[in-house]
Amino acid sequence: MTTVEERIRASGAPSRLGGKGISGAIQFTVFLVVIAVIVQSLYVVEARPQDLITGAHGMADIISRALPPDFSKFHSELWPTLETIDIAIFGTVAGVIMALPLAVLAAANVTPARWVYYLARGLISLCRVVPDLVWALIFVAAVGLGPFPGALAISVHSIGMLGRLFAETIEQMDMAPVEALALTGARRSQVFTHAVLPSVIPSLLGITLYRLDENIRSSLVLGFVGAGGIGFQLLSAMNLFQYQEVSLLLIIVFIVVLVAERGSAVLRAKLS
Amino acid sequence: MLEVRGLSLRYPNGKQALTSVDLTVQPGELVILLGGNGSGKTTLLRCLTRTLTPTAGQVSVAGRDITALSGEELRQARTSLALISQHASLVRRRSVCANVASGALGHYSSIMTSLGRLPRAEMASALHHLDAVGLVHLAGQRASTLSGGQAQRVAIARALAQRPRAVLADEPVASLDPEAAEEIMRLLKRLARTDNLAVLCVLHQVDLAYGHADRVVGIRDGRVAFDLPKDDLARERVRDLYISEAA
Repeated sequence: MTTVEERIRASGAPSRLGGKGISGAIQFTVFLVVIAVIVQSLYVVEARPQDLITGAHGMADIISRALPPDFSKFHSELWPTLETIDIAIFGTVAGVIMALPLAVLAAANVTPARWVYYLARGLISLCRVVPDLVWALIFVAAVGLGPFPGALAISVHSIGMLGRLFAETIEQMDMAPVEALALTGARRSQVFTHAVLPSVIPSLLGITLYRLDENIRSSLVLGFVGAGGIGFQLLSAMNLFQYQEVSLLLIIVFIVVLVAERGSAVLRAKLS
Repeated sequence: MLEVRGLSLRYPNGKQALTSVDLTVQPGELVILLGGNGSGKTTLLRCLTRTLTPTAGQVSVAGRDITALSGEELRQARTSLALISQHASLVRRRSVCANVASGALGHYSSIMTSLGRLPRAEMASALHHLDAVGLVHLAGQRASTLSGGQAQRVAIARALAQRPRAVLADEPVASLDPEAAEEIMRLLKRLARTDNLAVLCVLHQVDLAYGHADRVVGIRDGRVAFDLPKDDLARERVRDLYISEAA
């Protein structure tokens, strides 16, 4: 008969005493690495806090020139504001329409074939890894200035973001009802609409609402590369040193972002 | 009727899971399958639903050998064989009634059913099936609101909506309290009689087997150890089923 201690030792399980010394050394190394990473970033970005202090004067100057906001321009900013919001709505809707079928093909548990899975994953990744600003530059070059290239850029980037989250949602779903329905002799399309969709639709809607909020933020910025909306107004006003118009635009941006964020959060809370 | 002849299965890793299993369940009969863990019960059920393909032998449901089928033919054949598993496996966000009616989808091929609609005629008969399991008053509720015992009865109603000839039940009472378990077994037995179904039920509870079975089949090491009417079955033979596992 062997004792319990002997059998535990023979099993190769790490003993607590020996483990502590090793993990201590690892902890110290990790600590050093983290410090090194932070220090190199300070060096690379040429961080000089004193510049902030000497620059305070210039900032105060800009702020004084931006005040009060020029509310007489309010009416002429309404259209670009609507444009910004509509770019996001178009992008989200188009993104969902294209992301949903791709996500079904890119979910390991429902994909029809392995090569389809990799192809769909690849397409989704490609849409995601290229930033929306770069997509906007590409589409501006392709279809010219205006809101449409912005809407296209948001659509393509949304396919990437939504496709991945949709696919993950489908992969994490409870497969028991799906298998149960498949064994009753239901067709594949019936199994999908009667077991897969009802289980995942609330999550997909939540993800979409969150994406709409994010897309409104991105569409505010897209104007900077000529893709229409409020960003384009902001860029023009800056270039023309119209700081009072800039401050008005920033107030509008603030309100739009806040309303989008709260609205999306409230709707998502209603879903769950 | 459910008929199994000379069913064998060897896994790709060389393990012989089933060896020449013969088994018949007549319409109107409740047969209970007993066996220890790893005895081959689950493998046998998977061969019957054709989730696994046996290496040899035949499985006939209503006179049709399903081991030879694939694709569309297999899908059609599956409609005559219903499975009730340990967990009810309902779509939690749908109503009880919709869950039941979805059991009949295999009989329909219209575009509307592929787009997520349920056949209107099935909604009416779903209520009928819910009444048969005593839950018609819950028809409009979401499936997520049901207790374990209720969910399992809804799963049985869904199996009925499938209009099967044979029903397989894989430890249908494993996650239920004794009272709910007793009720499910009574229900299975009653349905076997009234709907003239061949019911094969895997159980771990020997007492439930004695209480409800018409016939008990013991399975050990992938072979049929006994196949006897309940009244002829000695307790020792049942105990022997589990002894080899303990050693």
